Amino acid sequence: MMHCYARMICMLVAFSYVSLLRAQTIDFVRDVRPIFQKHCYECHGDKKQKSGLRLDVKQAAFKGGDGYGETFSPGKSGDSPLIRLVTSKDKNDRMPPEGDALKTEEIQTLIQWIDEGATWPDGVDASLLKNIRDHWSFKPIAIPKGIHTLDSFIQEKLEMNGLTMSPEANRVSWLRRVTFDLTGLPPTPEEVRAFVDDTGSGAFERAVDLLLHSPHYGERWAQHWLDLVRFADTHGFEVNTERPNAWPYRDYVIRAFNEDKPYDRFIQDQIAGDQWGEDAATGFLVTASVLLPGQIGKDAPSIRLARQDSIDEIVNNIGQTFLGLSIGCARCHDHKFDPISAIDYYSMQAFVSGVEYEERELRTPAAEAIKQEAASMRVRVAEIDEQLNNFESLARPQTLPQTLPQRPSVSPRKNTDRFVAVTAKRLRFTVLATNGLEPCIDELEVFNGQGQNVALASFDTRAKTSGNTHVPDRHEARFVHNGLYGNSQSWLSNEPGKGWVELEFPSEQEVSRVVWSRDREGKFEDRLATEYKIETATGTDNNWQLVADSTDRFPWIAGTDRDRSLTTVGLSGEDATKATRLLDEKSNLEAKIKTAESGQRVFAGTFRKPDEIHLLSRGDPEQPREEVVPAVLRAFGEVELKKDSSEQERRLVLARWIASPENPLTARVMVNRIWQGHFGVGIVPTPSDFGNNGMKPSHPELLDWLSTEFIRSGWSIKAMHRLIVLSRTYRQSSALNAKGVEKDADVRLLWRYPSRRIEAETIRDSMLAISGKLNLKMYGRGYDLFDKRGGLSGYKPIESFRGEGLRRMIYAHKVRRETEAIFGAFDCPDAGQSTAVRRESMTPIQALNLFNSVFTLEQSQALAERLSREVGKDIEQQIQRAYHLALSREPSIDELREAEFVVREYGLETFGRALFNCNEALFLP
Amino acid sequence: MNSRNSKSGKGSLLGRVLLNRQQFLSNSATAIGSIALADMLCADGLLLDSTDQPRIDPAQPYAARLPHFPAKAKNVVVIFCAGAVSQLETWDYKPELIKWDDKPLPGGPSVTFQGPAGNLARPQYNFRQRGQTGKWVSDLIPHLAKLTDDIAFVHSLTSTSNTHGPAENFLSTGFVLDGFPSLGSWVTYALGSENQNLPSYVAIPDPRGVPQNGSNNWGPGFLPVAFQGTTLSSKEPVRHLIPPGIAPPADLASRSLLQKMNARHLEQHPGDGKLAARIASYELAARMQLSVPEISDLSTESAHILKMYGADDSQNANKAAFAKNCILARRLIERGVRFVQLFNGAYASGGVLNWDGHNAIKEQYDLHAQILDQPAAALIQDLKQRGLLDDTLVIWCTEFGRMPFFQKGSKGRDHNPDGFTCWMTGAGVKPGVSHGATDDLGQKAVQDIHPLTHFNATILHLLGLDFERLSFEHNGIQRRLTNVEGKIIPEILA
Repeated sequence: MMHCYARMICMLVAFSYVSLLRAQTIDFVRDVRPIFQKHCYECHGDKKQKSGLRLDVKQAAFKGGDGYGETFSPGKSGDSPLIRLVTSKDKNDRMPPEGDALKTEEIQTLIQWIDEGATWPDGVDASLLKNIRDHWSFKPIAIPKGIHTLDSFIQEKLEMNGLTMSPEANRVSWLRRVTFDLTGLPPTPEEVRAFVDDTGSGAFERAVDLLLHSPHYGERWAQHWLDLVRFADTHGFEVNTERPNAWPYRDYVIRAFNEDKPYDRFIQDQIAGDQWGEDAATGFLVTASVLLPGQIGKDAPSIRLARQDSIDEIVNNIGQTFLGLSIGCARCHDHKFDPISAIDYYSMQAFVSGVEYEERELRTPAAEAIKQEAASMRVRVAEIDEQLNNFESLARPQTLPQTLPQRPSVSPRKNTDRFVAVTAKRLRFTVLATNGLEPCIDELEVFNGQGQNVALASFDTRAKTSGNTHVPDRHEARFVHNGLYGNSQSWLSNEPGKGWVELEFPSEQEVSRVVWSRDREGKFEDRLATEYKIETATGTDNNWQLVADSTDRFPWIAGTDRDRSLTTVGLSGEDATKATRLLDEKSNLEAKIKTAESGQRVFAGTFRKPDEIHLLSRGDPEQPREEVVPAVLRAFGEVELKKDSSEQERRLVLARWIASPENPLTARVMVNRIWQGHFGVGIVPTPSDFGNNGMKPSHPELLDWLSTEFIRSGWSIKAMHRLIVLSRTYRQSSALNAKGVEKDADVRLLWRYPSRRIEAETIRDSMLAISGKLNLKMYGRGYDLFDKRGGLSGYKPIESFRGEGLRRMIYAHKVRRETEAIFGAFDCPDAGQSTAVRRESMTPIQALNLFNSVFTLEQSQALAERLSREVGKDIEQQIQRAYHLALSREPSIDELREAEFVVREYGLETFGRALFNCNEALFLP
Repeated sequence: MNSRNSKSGKGSLLGRVLLNRQQFLSNSATAIGSIALADMLCADGLLLDSTDQPRIDPAQPYAARLPHFPAKAKNVVVIFCAGAVSQLETWDYKPELIKWDDKPLPGGPSVTFQGPAGNLARPQYNFRQRGQTGKWVSDLIPHLAKLTDDIAFVHSLTSTSNTHGPAENFLSTGFVLDGFPSLGSWVTYALGSENQNLPSYVAIPDPRGVPQNGSNNWGPGFLPVAFQGTTLSSKEPVRHLIPPGIAPPADLASRSLLQKMNARHLEQHPGDGKLAARIASYELAARMQLSVPEISDLSTESAHILKMYGADDSQNANKAAFAKNCILARRLIERGVRFVQLFNGAYASGGVLNWDGHNAIKEQYDLHAQILDQPAAALIQDLKQRGLLDDTLVIWCTEFGRMPFFQKGSKGRDHNPDGFTCWMTGAGVKPGVSHGATDDLGQKAVQDIHPLTHFNATILHLLGLDFERLSFEHNGIQRRLTNVEGKIIPEILA
């Protein structure tokens, strides 16, 4: 009773203190907001939301920041993080972190406001919280009403802005443009001639068909894709060692483009293709840099962090590449701009948490066929072995006149003793000495003339021994003739250095060969019989006849593995010939089998039981929270799997969800990438960010119309190319005009064709095509750009290229972070991070590289030789031919005269060097 | 924001206007969001765009650009010691460790980066007090030790990786992953350069080889490739400067034919800025062809200077070569090159080629310090005596530190990202301060802890750049040097 009373007094006192301080209730706008404004908005307002906290908008303010929970607990100031943080005594904790702490009156105001219920009236906030789900690209693709063409959308927007399309470019300019665009090479003079001569209707369509059927198409468009997934042939990070079998993925991508693999299939192949024989495609999952086991710290936190980083890269790759979303932002906290929570992020991790960055066998139909063939070759090898048995040197036991040793020394793996056929009811194998300890024999085989093993227990032969060391399931007397090999299926004597095994056949047998071994599997070399004898007997008496022993073998020397293959020493001429022929056939077959069975390997991930994935507080593997299950981003779908779902099912379900026509992002993102490949800028200029922070589409209806067409065409990428490059929009001239520049300098409305510099690979490939040196070999292991294929930094570039080095640049062995020494400077990505758009820089280093490098000088020389070879010595014709090769046109009189002077005075190569460097050669017309 | 702008508003028109607007806004009775402010400024044409991105003229990517606010430091020299220099053998004096020598660390980790931990080990060099400040520095680096009165040390840095490659990434780019822009790229992207005949950003590799993370330390990431560091050293010239085997008249003939072809082409495409930019890049290249050999030619340096740096040391070829690199660095700064990154130490090699002292730290450091100490100290002194230190910031850094105990079975120290030292001196830096501290054994930062992002943010600040405003949109994210972190360390600012 006393106790209660005392508490009441305290409460009364506290109440009256507050009442004295402020007689009236707290008003949010008048009293609270100015405090927030003064102390908090710099870090927790509309510009910045440190720790995810925003205090200027009601809804966000109540939700609270990362890891703190609701900022205010109405009625309970003591439970409110806000009060705890502004009153904290800990310097690292206290808010605001810099400057003075809140004044006591200010704190008191906040406490009272919360205790009074934290009333924050609606409609008083200066900013509104954007509904992040209400965003164009998250809504279903809208099929525009009415009849449209690609051009009609462009025309409409231009007209709205008082602009018109430019006139059509001349036909050769268009051909040059589209040939570079689709194949990454200039059109040959012959292709230009054929197109100019094709004056019939449908000439443009025919030209496009030819280009899309060219294998060079895939080589060009695969490069865009490889940029995006940051493909490289090394592991990255500090040691950057070679990833020797990454290239099958690169080849998969080239083939997929060439085959016009439907894009929905292309997606599924890359996420789950191992489930239907597209092993190489899943190289996509593991394109990122990764720390190899030896590079990760030995301590457990380092190991956990490295694993998290490697899974994170897979999620990022999937999110950016297919969905155009920066899902990775939600690793440490809910996404700031898009409806992706940290739980969403870790749920995505759970789809791929069974993926390891490793190599595995590449199973392709071709590889499988080779394996089938290998199996039949094995049968033949067995036949040969059988026949070769007849050519084993005959044993010369000590009963015969002694010669020098001829037979190979005993082997732990396999020994054959051949002798002239004898009739035997019993056969005894006696060990006289070993290389140590009790003798052990895993199998004793006795063959008759038909090659049948008559020693087997299953043949009803019985065995007895001198004594046994019995170890159940490993060493038992019955194992000596049970037909099974290896230490754990063997007989072990009970006496050091000696022991015997006697076999009794069910009936008398004609036997001519004994085969025995210590361990046919080759794991054990001890307990080997180094001295032995083999005897037979016909009846039950003990009249043993010696048929073979170790006296004519070379002595056993520990540690040496002398060649024990068959020799023809001691064979007759005819037998030697036969044996040699069989031996040759056998070694030939064995080499083929080895190649077939070693097979191609691919760095495409291995799959195992998925790791449990937990939500990690602030992305820290040392702060795990609840476990999550695989689930797609909840704002976009409801697909969710059980905790115990299999690894394969996880990836398959994810792949199908992405590759669905219902997914609002997938088709839009890809169509935009294709558009960007043709115009340099996408309809959405941020091709890997379709979220709230990305840029809006310049032509939203066009994007949706194209996406619809894309899906309707069966996700045909080639159909999209056809649609675009045949459009009037694409066929415009690239010339500038004052009105266009004034109203739309960035050409986003496409009042002209926006010309651009060709890319690094296209420059190199084109130079080789023009010089006549381009090696058209497709696919396979990449050629070298440096003195080494991986490893620590300090790569020395190769300067002069021959043979394979003259292949297209997509076939170069791509060293991560170390861009090619000449063309790398032309904005070539280094495969560190995803490159969705290449920049288009102009730098003096580019100029030095392209003007002075050995590569350019050699190609100038090669071009000079080509010109002389093709048109002879006439300088005028040489120059004309060079212009046609490099620029697809005739030189003007002035150009001819200028070049002629240079060629006459300084040689063709001096002219060629200028030609390779000129702007006209490096820009799309 | 207020404090920054009021500090910066003195000289710059933009800064002053911002300041006034801010005052106006804070005095007004109602809250107006800063969006409104941005709108007003944009209408006045003061902000180029909402992200403060530098406007790069494609024809003159290296043209000097103004910082966000006026600053003393204009140029930067970074001395990057690869392999992780032990704080305990250099700048972070831990007398307590002497008492604990060869005793196990109670409650210490049993396993660290490379494996089992051994006993605590005393600093392997004697320490003594230096200069006016009485700063304790080890005898390992006697020349650098003389400069401590001018240096601001940060003893409480941390990294987020204990692996060299990712940690070098973190130091150089602010991210442990590959593919992000380096500090020098950010700086030259923002500020361009004062010299249009040389690359704006030069990386000088160590004579023994490039650091563990190689070109990532000077890579442009997703910034325009123009801002990549160009490598140049006393041993390796700039590539493709001279066309091999081409006689000057033929070279000239190619060049002038190219000029005519490009000029005619531009005439047919009037107003095309990209074409003009590419023509300009050849003109800049031609100037570089003259100025780069000139800058690499140390024959004009006096014997006194060569001796001061140790470039004449005939006994130690690596030291002489590194000394020449140091002279080269000074020459570049003298000519207005914005950012020079000077590497000391190559890649991991069990501590043979760099500061990665796992095996026998004393013997290995004896060799490495010989190469670093005199030349680097001479560089700073030379910059000072020429007045260049007035507007040049010199940074000494390493990717992480080392453990207070030896590794089991060795006389070396393992990786330690939890507390290590870097320092700076020169323009804008408060001289003679030691900021932050590790614990008594030098294992973990315990006082004024700063992730390396704070150090980098401070470097940008000294150059007049706001680390939060200097950003670049990449795949949907406004990327910054300091990721979403960053904080300035005011205690080391003059």
